[in-house]
Amino acid sequence: MKVLYAEDERQLSVAVTEILKMEGFEVTAVYDGQEALDALDNDYFDAVILDIMMPKKDGIEVLETMRKNGNFTSVLMLTAKATVDDRIAGLSTGADDYLAKPFAMKELIARLNSLIRRSSSYRHSTVKIGNIELDSNTCELKSDLGSLRLNNPEAELLTFLIHHAGTAYTAEQINDLVWNGKESPEKAELYVFYLKNKLRQIHAVVHVRIENDTYALCEGE
Amino acid sequence: MTQEDLAFYGEFAPKLQEIENLLMREIQAMLDSISADSETALAEHIKCRVKSAESLKEKLRNNGLPETARAGLENLSDLVGARVITHFVGDIYTVLELIQQNKSWRVITVKDYIANMKPNGYRSLHVLLNVPFGIGGIPDIDVEIQLRTIAMDCWASLEHQLKYKKHIKNTALIVDELKRCADEMASTDLSMQTIRDLIQRG
Repeated sequence: MKVLYAEDERQLSVAVTEILKMEGFEVTAVYDGQEALDALDNDYFDAVILDIMMPKKDGIEVLETMRKNGNFTSVLMLTAKATVDDRIAGLSTGADDYLAKPFAMKELIARLNSLIRRSSSYRHSTVKIGNIELDSNTCELKSDLGSLRLNNPEAELLTFLIHHAGTAYTAEQINDLVWNGKESPEKAELYVFYLKNKLRQIHAVVHVRIENDTYALCEGE
Repeated sequence: MTQEDLAFYGEFAPKLQEIENLLMREIQAMLDSISADSETALAEHIKCRVKSAESLKEKLRNNGLPETARAGLENLSDLVGARVITHFVGDIYTVLELIQQNKSWRVITVKDYIANMKPNGYRSLHVLLNVPFGIGGIPDIDVEIQLRTIAMDCWASLEHQLKYKKHIKNTALIVDELKRCADEMASTDLSMQTIRDLIQRG
């Protein structure tokens, strides 16, 4: 996991960098806001730790520039004064979390891990059941015996049915719960039929059970 | 058959052409028995061909066999081939049933690459048939009928171009993209089938 650490207090920076390395992080240490932006331009990081008080550009400015440039890497902001205003400034600029100085090293590591876990689960979210898995980014549905590409509403519907496997829903409920009522029960019904045929095609060991106008994803072929 | 093909197949040429005609005639008759109306026809089109001398020689060479028509007849199963292109996936299985009921040949194997697609995304249904031959001491030969939808046919023709073009930039990307297209088309084929079933059910 690659982390960018921007902190102008050299001694603190050395200490934190060493501990993060011991924890298995790959750390790039920079000492002011401009260096931080240069590093972000040149490399990819899984997370960024920004001290709020830094020469040249402060943490808030760095964060603003990052987000303006379309960089949405998770950011943990370090605030010297643990004032409410400081924390709000950081979070409202787009920081994902903040930590007040002085902080316990353990807490920094825990927060960093939680940030990385969260962002990577967004990046690669796959849902699985039985022998099938659905990649929510690409909408690729595959089993050990085949694969198909779904369209977005199909993928949303299947994700929902996988998360609620075994529970039966009516077409109205599907429209409300999956699509916030923006589609229609008729569309829900059609899409359930699509999924039924598509799951069968890739030899899924789950199937769509249709009973008394309700639909559920169930075990078995 | 071209002049070159006739020369290569020699004494076998007329019989091969007869089998090609038989396939064409029987398949057309089977399809017409379900519907002769072009609106609801099972197949979009049918193609039959006798393998060209050039392509047969290449295949024999690749298989380490002598480059003669006899070696082809005795060892290979696609000297005569037919392709039936349907609109919908379901129609493929309807045609398959008709092929299995036909008395003009004996069905040897059915390879369903629609239910079990190839890793590159190829989808089609291949039926291997045995038909009487009786020329030059060869009692019978195997021929193949391939069944696929328009979408699968379109995909296969593009993939075929990739196979025979030696130097392509970004081959890995093209292979990945072809696989993605195959999966999207298969998905659409099934959506269309589902819609048609709903319309027909009324």
